[in-house]
Amino acid sequence: MEGFLGGLAILIDPYVMLMVLLGTVLGIFVGALPGISGSTTIALLLPMTIAMGPIPAICFLGAIYCAANFGGSITAIMVNAPGDPSASATALEGFKMAEKGQAGLALGISAIASAIGGIVSVFVLIVAAPLLARAAYSFGPPEYFAIALFGLSMCAAIGGDSPLKNLIAAVLGLLIATVGMDLTTGIERFSFGIYELSDGIGFVPVLIGLFAVGEMLDQAAKRVGKAQIIHLDAARVPGWAEFKKCNRSIWVGSAVGTFIGVLPALGATTAALIGYNETRRWSKYKHEFGKGSIEGVAGPEAANNAAVGGSMVPTLALGIPGSATTAIILAGLIVQGVRPGPHLFTEQPTLLYAVFASMLAANLFYLVMGLSMAKLFARISLIPPAILWPSVFVLSVIGAYGPNQSMGDVLVMLVAGVVGFLFRRTGFSPAPLIMGLVLGAMVEETLKQSLIIFDDDLAGFLGRPIALTLFALTITGLLWPMVSRLLRGGRAARA
Amino acid sequence: MTGSMKLPRRGLLIGAAAVGSVLSAPAKVRSQAAFPSRIVEIVTHAGVGGGTDITARMMMVQAPAVFGQEFTVVNRTAGSGAQALQYVASKPADGHTIILMTQTHILTQLRNPSLPQFADFIPVARATADPHLVLVRRDSPFRTPADLINAGKERSLRFGGTHVGGTDHVVIFAFGRASGIQRPTLVPFRGGGEVVINVVGGNVDTAVVNPGEAEAQLRAGEVRPLISLAETRLEAFADVPTAKELGIDATGYTLRGFCVFKGTPDDRVARLESGLIEAMSGQVYRTYLQNTGQMPESVTGREAWGAQLTQFNRDGREALQALGLLRG
Repeated sequence: MEGFLGGLAILIDPYVMLMVLLGTVLGIFVGALPGISGSTTIALLLPMTIAMGPIPAICFLGAIYCAANFGGSITAIMVNAPGDPSASATALEGFKMAEKGQAGLALGISAIASAIGGIVSVFVLIVAAPLLARAAYSFGPPEYFAIALFGLSMCAAIGGDSPLKNLIAAVLGLLIATVGMDLTTGIERFSFGIYELSDGIGFVPVLIGLFAVGEMLDQAAKRVGKAQIIHLDAARVPGWAEFKKCNRSIWVGSAVGTFIGVLPALGATTAALIGYNETRRWSKYKHEFGKGSIEGVAGPEAANNAAVGGSMVPTLALGIPGSATTAIILAGLIVQGVRPGPHLFTEQPTLLYAVFASMLAANLFYLVMGLSMAKLFARISLIPPAILWPSVFVLSVIGAYGPNQSMGDVLVMLVAGVVGFLFRRTGFSPAPLIMGLVLGAMVEETLKQSLIIFDDDLAGFLGRPIALTLFALTITGLLWPMVSRLLRGGRAARA
Repeated sequence: MTGSMKLPRRGLLIGAAAVGSVLSAPAKVRSQAAFPSRIVEIVTHAGVGGGTDITARMMMVQAPAVFGQEFTVVNRTAGSGAQALQYVASKPADGHTIILMTQTHILTQLRNPSLPQFADFIPVARATADPHLVLVRRDSPFRTPADLINAGKERSLRFGGTHVGGTDHVVIFAFGRASGIQRPTLVPFRGGGEVVINVVGGNVDTAVVNPGEAEAQLRAGEVRPLISLAETRLEAFADVPTAKELGIDATGYTLRGFCVFKGTPDDRVARLESGLIEAMSGQVYRTYLQNTGQMPESVTGREAWGAQLTQFNRDGREALQALGLLRG
């Protein structure tokens, strides 16, 4: 209790709060810019935080992490270029909303859903971190295989014109995921001796190409003079009615995000994609998806920000990072002399609760900033396309080059851009392709790991109850439309 | 509250001290034919925020003051070090381009003869030497090193590690051969954290990991170290025997250190060696080593560093050959 109050006391410490505020502003900014992600920023600032002392340093880095996840949605919604990989699912519906002139609504609901998701996960973290952390040990390769399969099973349902087209796009994503060195054989596949390909095709350049450059080409191909109509209500922010509509998706997203975040091998990007799937599954307005559904923004945004708190669970309670960003935060903690682990909860509760309190504060800060600036950001959609899209293209090139300082990634981005353009022209959607790309490597790797563990005997899965449960869920999800049709058919016949 | 207010002021003091030493540096620099005369690049194969990248950045906190010159990190991530090796080879060998070499680079060189090879680089100074521990989960049937070795003679043990043909794999292979057990089965994972989780979760029999990676689990008693692969007993694990004591001629370390391309003038290599060691003897780097559970002796000069690299080059070649991963 003393530790809890001591931790909360940082909320009235002006120096720490200044650091949290600084981190939040910085986080939104770098999150919104494609090319610098929250994790890059944290890594670059790490040496500078050494002199700050543990609590301000961790609060500062934590605030960047929280806010960058939200910041990514701003560019995703406004120009279809996810500023942070975790915002890719947000772009699917968010940009469609902006095109309809609802940019303010999309930005506003993104801020609200993000903050709720973030806050929910921090509370889960406070209440159940040591308990939840134990669950991570129950998740080995067979369980991750079952989760990845569950995620992939939704591929046909999300995105474009027809399930067949979605499956084709998903297979393309799976194929791209096979490029690079295979973990279980050490052999490079489809790399053609090109070093840039030996680590696989980067997720970020594909994403930027498919979304931003594909959109730019599409805009360019449209006839000049058919420029976007200026929407006067673009700056309208969500009210109670919109919030009520999204209520369910925010909770679904928060739950999915927290759970995925807790698992050490999965991060915010996967959380957002699965959050998007589940939001759609549980939605009463399924027909709106793919055409600019406000729930389709709320769900994934709640999920990716909930994954932030979730991924702090294994980081703090097990010393095992739940994402690339928490790996760097973990390094930051260690450099400060803080050794994460179960003992942290008994030995340094003040520090722990200070981290929680600062994350709560960061979530509230960006909620206020996000809502008040939504009107301002929404005006991006008033910029004439002839000026907007060339600038997006420049940002896209920088965004692809930035993370690895690699021209190879820029080429991948340009090719993905052409693919994105062709997709738009032929009624395909990038969503299943991204699902395939993100989950493909995981499905394959975890299956191979499982088989090594089971001595190549598939019956080994029978001894894994968690995996079996997830398999059952997947099968139910796949068969449900058929079963419900049969039931309805039966009832109709009887009547 | 006041405590946290004081810290930035102390930070300013350190900053002022650093500025002071930079200002006093030019005299020293001039006497040594103005080397380094431009920004020194530290090339790493790790992405920003990776373990090796952080090592570079920690060293660099004090290097500019020592050399009187700015330092910058160049991340060339493609091809498991291939791109980093090529980048260094493409630059003039004048000491302004330094590669942060790891075992990964050596394995990549062995598998790609067209790349700049091991012999093309001059070792300068070692930055980290993080020893490996062979550990098992708390309720594992293997209570002693002998239990593990005997079981390994009856069946192939499942070892957790990073990818096939990677550094962990070479260490596991060398350990397996030296201890006379059946060739171990590697269950590959994406990183050390996942390996530790799967040791605790019982998906693998054992694993070789750095103490820092399993810090929380070691402290909580969820994993038990059986054998240390360090040269001598580790201070923090005084009751864990080394493999050498058990008659197993194998060591395992995660190594990182600095090298320059061949042709770099000898006086510059010497200047870099002494300067880098000085930078890594500073407070920031010391604290970094200590907090990541590594010994200050990790920092050492070119002789010991070169010998260790040569040894790993030999082990790596043998392991990759035996595993069928070497071309030709």
